[in-house]
Amino acid sequence: MAFTSFRFVVFLAVSAALYFLTPKRCRWVTLFVVNYVFYFLAGGRYFVYLLATTLTTYLAAVMLGNMASKNKTAFAEAKAGLDKEGRKAWKAAFARKKRFVLVPALLLNFGILSILKYSGFVCNNLNALFARLGVGGELPIFRFLLPLGISFYTFQSMGYLIDVYREKVEPERNLAKLALFISFFPQIVQGPIGRFNTLAEQLFRPNEFSYTRVKFGVQLMLWGAFKKMVIADRVAVMVDNIFGFPETLGGCYVAVAALGYCIQIYGDFSGGIDIATGAAQIFGITLDKNFERPYLATSIPDFWRRWHITLGAWFRDYVFYPLSLSKFFQKLGKAGRRVFGNYIGKLLPVLIPQFIIFFLIGIWHGAEWKYIAFGVYNGTLIVLGILFEQPLKNLAKRLGIRMECFSWRVFQVLRTLVLVALGKIITRAPGVSASVYMIRSMVENWDTNIFWEGGMLKLGLDEKDLWILFLSCCALLTVSLLQESGVKIRETLAKQNLYFRWAVYLGAVFSLVLFGVYGLNYDASDFIYRGF
Amino acid sequence: MDTEALMKILAELRPDVDFEENKELVDSGELDSFDIVSLVGELCDAYDIEIGADDIVPENFNSVEAICALITRLQED
Repeated sequence: MAFTSFRFVVFLAVSAALYFLTPKRCRWVTLFVVNYVFYFLAGGRYFVYLLATTLTTYLAAVMLGNMASKNKTAFAEAKAGLDKEGRKAWKAAFARKKRFVLVPALLLNFGILSILKYSGFVCNNLNALFARLGVGGELPIFRFLLPLGISFYTFQSMGYLIDVYREKVEPERNLAKLALFISFFPQIVQGPIGRFNTLAEQLFRPNEFSYTRVKFGVQLMLWGAFKKMVIADRVAVMVDNIFGFPETLGGCYVAVAALGYCIQIYGDFSGGIDIATGAAQIFGITLDKNFERPYLATSIPDFWRRWHITLGAWFRDYVFYPLSLSKFFQKLGKAGRRVFGNYIGKLLPVLIPQFIIFFLIGIWHGAEWKYIAFGVYNGTLIVLGILFEQPLKNLAKRLGIRMECFSWRVFQVLRTLVLVALGKIITRAPGVSASVYMIRSMVENWDTNIFWEGGMLKLGLDEKDLWILFLSCCALLTVSLLQESGVKIRETLAKQNLYFRWAVYLGAVFSLVLFGVYGLNYDASDFIYRGF
Repeated sequence: MDTEALMKILAELRPDVDFEENKELVDSGELDSFDIVSLVGELCDAYDIEIGADDIVPENFNSVEAICALITRLQED
């Protein structure tokens, strides 16, 4: 059931009506039932995977909770007789005990995800390696269809489990409530990845109907649908045509395709997130922010703080910190200071885990070499950015370049955009070698026919479509710049007079109906991140 | 605890940040994850404490007072 389909709109309206008609104390039950109906309609065959994750997360969390309360009592009794070292040893022993529960649950759930997502890729590559080495035998290759939202709900539920392990949240002892947290239908498809301490209470409490909130939710959904259907799906026609023929369309065509794909994937993903956030808002639930105008970022780390924020935060809290604060990396940092000096030594516990994180983020996107290349590309940029940050600042100072001015900011934004666009070529091209070929052709071939001899009109979009695309992108940029300067669009709109407001609302609806990409081969269900 | 030593560590880590005035060091984005990891390394050495990933929450690093409270708690634990 695609977010941009009429079925989804009807489903959402019926669900919201049922939710607010239900007596207050049972509203969470309605939401739970609605979630499971949605998941069943979207892919009933894969229900078993969702149930397995829910059950194992529930059992492990309850066990951890019971262990923690028993330990608290025992520790309170024994504390007086323990010195500092004794207390440390007690805590370490308890942490080891808890890991016997946590680790199997993590292995099982990430194991399911890995087998479904990566086993084909791994077996294929191992078979190729065996063939090259002349080793007999071939591993069987199973092709699994990915259950809807598995990457998202696995990360969300494992984040919750780690929080229980860290005793940051109490375990949820009601299985249906935990199931509701893991399967909230607006976010299960493509995120944002929620945290138990901010999302659960909102889901479980009886939210009141609010006209203003519903209005804001619908507005956000319309904006999301505009980004997806008017911008992303339109530019996709052009992007597909160029990436479909990497050998014949080189030079500036590649540059146009890279920029087009940046627009497409942003419109597609952030549009889907806007629809999810707006739908949740109708129920009185605020989802975590997933985007903050990423193409206005001034550096690659800044870009990743603004793009898919909840995934980055997940990796930061559950992988980066544990790795970089581990005894191994702290020791490595100290050794590094002795060998390479203070500057690099201090950075080592940050650089290596950071590289690992981006490698993992690359793999998270899919089981293909190009995603690994994408992870390595971003990891390398981040590491180089950290290493050369201070030396480059010193160089700029020596050259007398002012860094606190508008022109420098514009330069930083454009530089970041170029680096991001190169990364997008890696993920969108048919393979790693094709992306290398395309990037080379962009550098070596300066054929600008695409701009002067009607080249743009040969890529599947006519003049009218190109104008719609251009004006829509201008609207998107204007809104982004306003938001960046602190303007709250929906609140500002609400303060305008009735005629202006309705002109905007009707304009938005008509632009969707008139300019949304429809046609025989059009499939609005193809949200790109849904596949991740 | 020795606040002066803490201020010295913070000033060396990020000389551009006003640690006395800013009470939202993490929430405002003034300190990022790289700063936190470097800071934790320094604090563990200076105060003979162990700061784990569990302790890395914005509330523990948003202000000098919060960092002091974290150090005191870990020293007492």
